[in-house]
Amino acid sequence: MLLAQTKAESLRIIRSPFFMLFSILMPLAFYFLFASLNGADKSIASTTYGSYSLMSMTAFSLIGTAVSQFGIRLAYERRDGWVRLLRLTPLTPAVWIGSKLIAHMGIHLLTIIVIFSAAQLTYSFDLTLAQWVSCGLWLWLGSLPFLALGSILGTMKNADAAIAIGNMLHMGLAILGGLWMPLRTLPHWMQSIGEWLPSYRFAHGAWNMLAGSAPVLLDWLILVVSGILFMVLSGYILNRREAM
Amino acid sequence: MTYAIECTGLSKQFGSFHAVNDINLRFKQGQISALLGPNGAGKTTTISMILGLQKPTSGSINVLGMPAGTKEIRQRIGALMQDVKAADGLTVKEVLELFRSYYRNPLSLARLLDLSGLQQEAKRRASALSGGQRRRLAFAQSLAGNPELILLDEPTVGMDIEARGRFWDTIRTLAADGRTVVLTTHDLTEADGVADHIAIIAAGRVAAEGTPAQLKAQSALRSISFRSGCDLSDAQLMQLPGVVKFERHADHIHLYAENTDILVGALLQSGWGIYDLEIQSAKLEEAFRILTNQQ
Repeated sequence: MLLAQTKAESLRIIRSPFFMLFSILMPLAFYFLFASLNGADKSIASTTYGSYSLMSMTAFSLIGTAVSQFGIRLAYERRDGWVRLLRLTPLTPAVWIGSKLIAHMGIHLLTIIVIFSAAQLTYSFDLTLAQWVSCGLWLWLGSLPFLALGSILGTMKNADAAIAIGNMLHMGLAILGGLWMPLRTLPHWMQSIGEWLPSYRFAHGAWNMLAGSAPVLLDWLILVVSGILFMVLSGYILNRREAM
Repeated sequence: MTYAIECTGLSKQFGSFHAVNDINLRFKQGQISALLGPNGAGKTTTISMILGLQKPTSGSINVLGMPAGTKEIRQRIGALMQDVKAADGLTVKEVLELFRSYYRNPLSLARLLDLSGLQQEAKRRASALSGGQRRRLAFAQSLAGNPELILLDEPTVGMDIEARGRFWDTIRTLAADGRTVVLTTHDLTEADGVADHIAIIAAGRVAAEGTPAQLKAQSALRSISFRSGCDLSDAQLMQLPGVVKFERHADHIHLYAENTDILVGALLQSGWGIYDLEIQSAKLEEAFRILTNQQ
């Protein structure tokens, strides 16, 4: 049951034209655009711009998949009666949500591999295998809090509003988190907000590893705490609705 | 005889609105039963409670010998609800394989495609199907678990006449295998044609129950239709012996009465120049109208 459901959920994500466009093509296009405008070899934060921006754009892609494909899809499935239909079958909510999470994590891993490979084939970075693997793993696991954020969107009754809010969250988190332009090039007030956002911390951990250090305690802390907060919040909304 | 579904003193209240008001219903195993009523009568609410999607305000429901909403029952029930969109991104075959994976003892994919008449569409995306085809896919999904009890909420909405005919043939085949079928409809002809047992629901209550023949007999009104050479006033028509009500359709006049024999005599002696006289026995439609208006 779990296997079949995971397979079905994975197929649905991969076949979505929005996934192809917003999670693969757009991040890659912007990555190559920024890298060629700034020069992939330009030095930034003790590493090269090419690899720095690669982490930003991979983070941007993963946040988009987690928020849109997971969150917005949940909102639509609720609106279209799909959730109610599944409640009539022996499929349990745990297996249903579990399969979605497994499918997402599989696809997030695949996304990281595809984007990393495309960049490496183009620019042949001077990174060790350990750096590739640790950056990839960090981004992979770091995408979990954003799935939790998506689950809040998924509780929304107005699915069309969920799209609007989802896109705003995606873009807002990306810009304020320094994924489009490095945070220190932004106005001071935006920097002081950005530093506390999970999106900045998400990419920051990977940037540190490129520079040969490790994610700092605050990176871990903000990602873990925001993930738990998002989960508790969506759980609370769902429970309150059930009770009515 | 055992019952697949037993509702006792069932009520559902939304605020001050009684959607379902103290309903007692029993549906026999192996029969096709219809829950018939006008829109808003409480049919979907009743079905939702039987399925465990909504909790009754009061009363109890027993489904296949278990309280409604039990996990185990879901293995044995198939339900077709209204307004469910197909999962995007999956083909018909993939959707059905997915639903088959939920059940211990599923029907084969070939059988499901055959029952829903979707063999040609197996490889098409579910979201690309026409309205009627989607409805048939939803029907196939509801049968995926080889259910003992099939609940269908307004199953033929959106189907053309030919598709309806095929659908009812399929339902009869499924019932002949010993499955229990309970459906809701606001279409009398359908209920009359397919159901062994009909419960008429109006304003949240059971207005009448029985076989189609019993229900027709219960409303003993017969009708006489005729045309007349002269203009007849409403008062003149109501003065005729035993007339309960009348209707005018163009120059046809329909009279309803319990005893049409006396009425015919009176009409022929009236000197109104009666012609095109026809006597009809009660139709289920008439029974339905009378029973639901009593409330």
